[in-house]
Amino acid sequence: MLQKASEEIHRALYMKSLRKGLSRSVNRLVPAPYRILDRWRYLLGYTEEIREAKEKVLNDIDYYIDATMKMVEETKGHAYYAKTKDEAVKLVKDLVGKDKLIVKSKSMVTEELGLREELDRDNTVFETDLGELLIQFSRDKPMHTTAPAIHITREKAIMLLKRHGVKVRDNMSTMEIVGMVRLFLREKFVKADAGISGANSIAADTGSIFLVSNEGNIRNTTSLPPIHIAITGVEKIMPTMELAFKQAVTQAAYAGLYPPTYVSVISGPSSTADIEFERVYGVHGPKEVHVILYDGGRVEALKDEVISEQLYCIRCGRCQAECPIWQLVGNTWGGRVYGGPMGMGWTAIIEGIEKASSLSHFCLLCGKCREVCPMKIDMPRIIRYLKMYYFKYVK
Amino acid sequence: MPLPMADVITMIKNNISKRGTPLPISTGEATGWAMDLDIPHGGETILYTGLLYQLTPFIESVVDRLDKLDDESLGGLLKAGKVFSGILDISRFFVKPDKDEIREQHNKIKRIALLLRKAGVEFGYLYKDEMYSGVLLYDLGLEDEFKKHAEKVFNKFRKHGVKKVITIDPHSTHVLRSVYPQYIEGFEIEVKNYLEILSERGLSPENNIEEDITIHDPCYYARYEDIIQQPRSLLENGGLHIVEAEKSGRLTHCCGGPLESLSPKIAAEIAKYRAAELSGYCDKVVVMCPICYSNLKRVARGIIELTDISSILWKIYGD
Ligand code: SF4
Repeated sequence: MLQKASEEIHRALYMKSLRKGLSRSVNRLVPAPYRILDRWRYLLGYTEEIREAKEKVLNDIDYYIDATMKMVEETKGHAYYAKTKDEAVKLVKDLVGKDKLIVKSKSMVTEELGLREELDRDNTVFETDLGELLIQFSRDKPMHTTAPAIHITREKAIMLLKRHGVKVRDNMSTMEIVGMVRLFLREKFVKADAGISGANSIAADTGSIFLVSNEGNIRNTTSLPPIHIAITGVEKIMPTMELAFKQAVTQAAYAGLYPPTYVSVISGPSSTADIEFERVYGVHGPKEVHVILYDGGRVEALKDEVISEQLYCIRCGRCQAECPIWQLVGNTWGGRVYGGPMGMGWTAIIEGIEKASSLSHFCLLCGKCREVCPMKIDMPRIIRYLKMYYFKYVK
Repeated sequence: MPLPMADVITMIKNNISKRGTPLPISTGEATGWAMDLDIPHGGETILYTGLLYQLTPFIESVVDRLDKLDDESLGGLLKAGKVFSGILDISRFFVKPDKDEIREQHNKIKRIALLLRKAGVEFGYLYKDEMYSGVLLYDLGLEDEFKKHAEKVFNKFRKHGVKKVITIDPHSTHVLRSVYPQYIEGFEIEVKNYLEILSERGLSPENNIEEDITIHDPCYYARYEDIIQQPRSLLENGGLHIVEAEKSGRLTHCCGGPLESLSPKIAAEIAKYRAAELSGYCDKVVVMCPICYSNLKRVARGIIELTDISSILWKIYGD
């Protein structure tokens, strides 16, 4: 496994388009959080509050899963807990049915589930985040947690869109391209039978899910179709609505986008009681809201004192943008879904420690990731642990 | 085909457990710097080189060979088991470095020792009894081997009655000060870095050098051992003007050195990135770690000019 990874990484090292795309994006991604934190200094305080709250939640995860589910139900949503990937995929498939049109917003958890590919077999699925749509069209894997198409150059983007029926032309400006994508997806939003999203945060005390976006695609995905299905990792639970909000905007800030254009807070389906005070569900927004709390190795990982620290991660991707290795090869250094420094811990959680330990040897242990991480996660410690695991149990 | 990482790691492991060092180095090559300095043998306080400066030219020559080896033929040699079949085989692609290179490294250590002396610090040296710290074992993830090695080093210290150790590079400093205590029960040796000591002692400058420089902080000084301000004060007291890079101090950017032996290619790409970045601030770059020096040197030509801090400190406070 180690040698195969090494070959892939060395190949990526000399892929001109990848390097070019990465370095253009890295140059913009890296400075942004510094500017943001300098200006909105309270965000630094948020990170501490979030870390504390996470500790509370992770130490008592069963209670928080339960509490969250109860509140989702209380607000007339449907709550589920899925332990494994298969369980989660089956839940969604059963909810959606067959031959449906599905719009989807970007979410790393659905990436973990390979949900798009799974649903695509019996349905038609469209990603609605532009970057993720490009990933879907290129059959690639997302290269960065919040900027998935970081490695795709503009030339390649035009080529991909054209091939899939978006009416773009070679000489179009970015604005014109975006306009065409808007036109293309607008129709899907209106016709879609279901919208699928992740969640940046979920509050245990209200069952509300928080979704952050800049494109506005998430608002459409979660409000136009009659059914909304949200899937999120159990580590995204926050004790209160206030903290859930803080987690969502802090992630955006450390990803380099602040203030985020949209923060949606969703607590159950749309409803009205305007006629004779009879409450009916499904007005302009969805009629049904389903929330799936996905485990996928997380609860098990809590037993491992070292690896479990990765569950504090809010997935801002800053450690990736600042990592000397990641800057060269992106998520090529990583597991099936997560790459770079955070990707070592996450790969251990979702794909097993053995896989992660084979990848760990590319780390310099320079410690930059820990330095820039809003949650101060000691990734070098995790990675050292993985390296040691490799020689003890794998090799 | 890239280098077979697992095999390279095994080779390093075998070498350290057999010879005590990652690469073959003779006693003269390790201790030669102390010739004519009349440093006492042993003592409660010792200067501990950790052999990193001395090993650097050897590492460079191996990395150079590894990097140049035709990937194809390396693959073939490996399959035939000719290269890594045991401890000996490192010599197959190992060329002794240039004598001048070795001497240059010795001079750096010598200057550090003389500066300490000038600052009134009394210290001994273990000469041929000095051992490598084992830091590479720790960094590669070879925990059991590391623990064993560290115990040997500790016993050596104990045998000589060492109570305080003065270190001269970031890796040895970190591993002795922050890692040994986690692995060795009763490790109570005080570990101080020479830059910390020199800055505490408040040496007065002999010469004023008015020059612009930029600093490449080594990761382990800056992020792990909190050695950031000391070198800066020492340089500034000598008249130097530091043009701070954005990525400096705790936010420094790695030189790529730690991957040198596993992937010379990735290490070089990182070094290129860092060298280009630093050159935007000043083409004179001060480094404080022999590994940083050697990895950046591979790409420095025409971009930046590297100087080890010991040489500048010598110009300011020595002579
Ligand atoms: S590990 Fe830290 S920096 Fe990296 S994605 Fe997670 S929260 Fe962000």
